[in-house]
Amino acid sequence: MTDTSDMGLAEAGVPFREKSAWVAIAGMVVAYGAYFIVVSALPRAGSEIDETLRTIALFGIATVIRLLILGIGTLVIRSGSPADARVPSDERDRAIAGRSAAFAYYVLMAGMIVVGIMMPFNAHGVAITNAALFWLVAAEIVRYGTTISAYRRGWHG
Amino acid sequence: MADTKIVNNIRTLRFMAGEMTQADLGTRIGMTRQTIAAIEAGKYSPTLEAAFRIAQVFGKTLDEVFQWEG
Repeated sequence: MTDTSDMGLAEAGVPFREKSAWVAIAGMVVAYGAYFIVVSALPRAGSEIDETLRTIALFGIATVIRLLILGIGTLVIRSGSPADARVPSDERDRAIAGRSAAFAYYVLMAGMIVVGIMMPFNAHGVAITNAALFWLVAAEIVRYGTTISAYRRGWHG
Repeated sequence: MADTKIVNNIRTLRFMAGEMTQADLGTRIGMTRQTIAAIEAGKYSPTLEAAFRIAQVFGKTLDEVFQWEG
């Protein structure tokens, strides 16, 4: 067993769940960041159906990329600290997860108000879909970002 | 009162308990070693239940482990 008797906070190592949050946020930013850049740069497709199919295909590709980053990243951090990966979450992990989800909920609610209540008056189809996806991604980024911040800066729930 | 911090003697108590590691203490009370390190560093305030468990491991009362700063 590693001698941790004199470890400070930094020396105790990055918690496994913080590493997981870094991997998750990287996957979201890389995959869906690229997705939104591409869809905003592309000219409109010929028909509404073409536009929809193209959006589904691009979103599918982005999701596969995200899952690859998540899978490979998780394997890497698990192999780097297998003992930490096996330890079940404790009360701090659960408190941080709860706080992160609460922050993300507000972002998601704001997004759904924009997408579900305001956008139908001046947009339609794929534009609404992409706006909904954007807010979902934003909420997830806020969730993982809050998790990372809580682990690094401390938590006094 | 709201600005007063709670400090603890966990690091000292671990040392006096045969240089118990953070991981050992964490295992005994169901916490990760990173959480024990965060408590020692004042970066996390444990629940009342966890605080009692920590005190119980060292055979101390709660106020022998946790105190108001100053």
